[in-house]
Amino acid sequence: MTGTRVGNRVIGAQAPVTVGWENIPKVEGGPVKQFVFTWFQPAMLFALIAFWYYAPNSIAKASTAVAIGIGFKALLLVLEWVNPRFDSWRLTWKEAATDLFYVAIGYTMLRLLDGYIGDDVMIDYVQKALHWDKFAWFMTLPLLVQAILISVLFDFGQYWMHRGMHNWYPLWVTHAPHHYITQLNINKGAVGNPVELFLIGLGIGGFFDFLPRAALLAGTFGLAVSVYQHINVRFNTPRWWRFLFNTTEHHSVHHSQDFEASRSNYSGTWIIIDRLFGTCVDGEAELLGMEGGRRMSIRETMVYPFAEVGKSLKHRMGRRTSEEQPIAVPAE
Amino acid sequence: MNLRFLEWIWHVRGSVALASDASRDAVFDKLDPVFRQTGTSFDRVGDTLVFRKRDQAAQDKMSVFDEGVLTLEQRASGPVLRYDLVSRALLYCFLAPLLFLAVAQLTILLSAHQKAVAEAAEKAGTAPKKPEKKVFPLNPIDQALGAPAPEPPKKKGKDKKADDAKLPSPTPAYVFAGIFAVLYVVGRILEDRLVNALFRKRVSAA
Repeated sequence: MTGTRVGNRVIGAQAPVTVGWENIPKVEGGPVKQFVFTWFQPAMLFALIAFWYYAPNSIAKASTAVAIGIGFKALLLVLEWVNPRFDSWRLTWKEAATDLFYVAIGYTMLRLLDGYIGDDVMIDYVQKALHWDKFAWFMTLPLLVQAILISVLFDFGQYWMHRGMHNWYPLWVTHAPHHYITQLNINKGAVGNPVELFLIGLGIGGFFDFLPRAALLAGTFGLAVSVYQHINVRFNTPRWWRFLFNTTEHHSVHHSQDFEASRSNYSGTWIIIDRLFGTCVDGEAELLGMEGGRRMSIRETMVYPFAEVGKSLKHRMGRRTSEEQPIAVPAE
Repeated sequence: MNLRFLEWIWHVRGSVALASDASRDAVFDKLDPVFRQTGTSFDRVGDTLVFRKRDQAAQDKMSVFDEGVLTLEQRASGPVLRYDLVSRALLYCFLAPLLFLAVAQLTILLSAHQKAVAEAAEKAGTAPKKPEKKVFPLNPIDQALGAPAPEPPKKKGKDKKADDAKLPSPTPAYVFAGIFAVLYVVGRILEDRLVNALFRKRVSAA
């Protein structure tokens, strides 16, 4: 495999990666299907923004956002069934059950833990220690500006945390289990070691005071843009969208079995951040995962970072056997 | 302990009728591709095939099973392929509701503890004072576009309700316990049918 040169890097030398939008297949089918799968993403984004912008205060609540989130994900599961990007990514019962287990951990145990050691707790501590008020001036900005700033600010932090995970061994061992997924489906974003899910959720948004409506609008970018990172649906994504936002195409490159390709497209929502820092690769990949596509069990996912650190320490101290060699090769 | 009466939870058993003239080798040869999958090892001894799977690929048609035994038998109605398959995924899915019910109980305990601590601090007068929320009018652009104005800060009595809402809630854990219970029933029926259809299709293939 020769791969394709992208800047100073060669993408796809180890595993097939399609580079360039012109090489990515289009939606197949009649005009209605073409229309739906071309305009679905922008239409949903603008509809949700309009909803949260104009919804009365009695409706614009977090509980409504949760209900919309569940309904929207159910709709996306139907789209996966109707128009899959790859048949080799079809959702099976076992995949659905496994993914849901990670989602459930996120909504229950991790959320519980977050209440004690999450970013809001840390920010509260810093604010009290330094006698800082929240940045209340933020609330005077127009709602959409507030929402976009919250979203970009969070994603900017997530970009560097994610890039750090791919470049620093102690962070990489927490993130590596997520890269053992071998297909993209709507709940695959939740698959991974809880330590990683905790780290990637850290943000500095708590320093700012913003209108609840702005936070709901910011959440819309998460729901109606970054949700498409992990989805098995073939879209004709509009040019402006894929220039600005992360897409399933970008994220499939990131999850490719090709090492160089996996070191790209780090942002969660705004791919333009990757463009600014030279880490964006436009394209798509079907063969995903690590170790040639070995599927990692839930048990191994839970213990992996600790087991790898243990193996690494033993290795350094010279007490090693061939089986105990760390397999999480540092990503640098 | 005799687990015979519980084994249906993680065992999928069944049989597929074979053609009366089907030879042992022909049947197992037809089934061969099913077991030539990543992470699968198998042995054929006489009328029995025993397989074991580890780190099954997501698209492996038998990914839900970890081990099993397939036996060719002669019954009064004719020859059959009998199978007994073991699935850890089904077992864990069956147990998952119990795990999330336990999480719900833990959440209730922690929530009650947090509430008690907050109330004690309030009585002792050591509760941290909440900063008064400044009220900003909507930006003129939003006013012109007709966005609803934010609600004024709530009065003290209502604040208590808002504080309670910030306590961890057991509802998500209950919801997921329910989801996994439904998922188990779906999986137990679906995977049973799918594997039966898979074997039937393979052994009847020309």
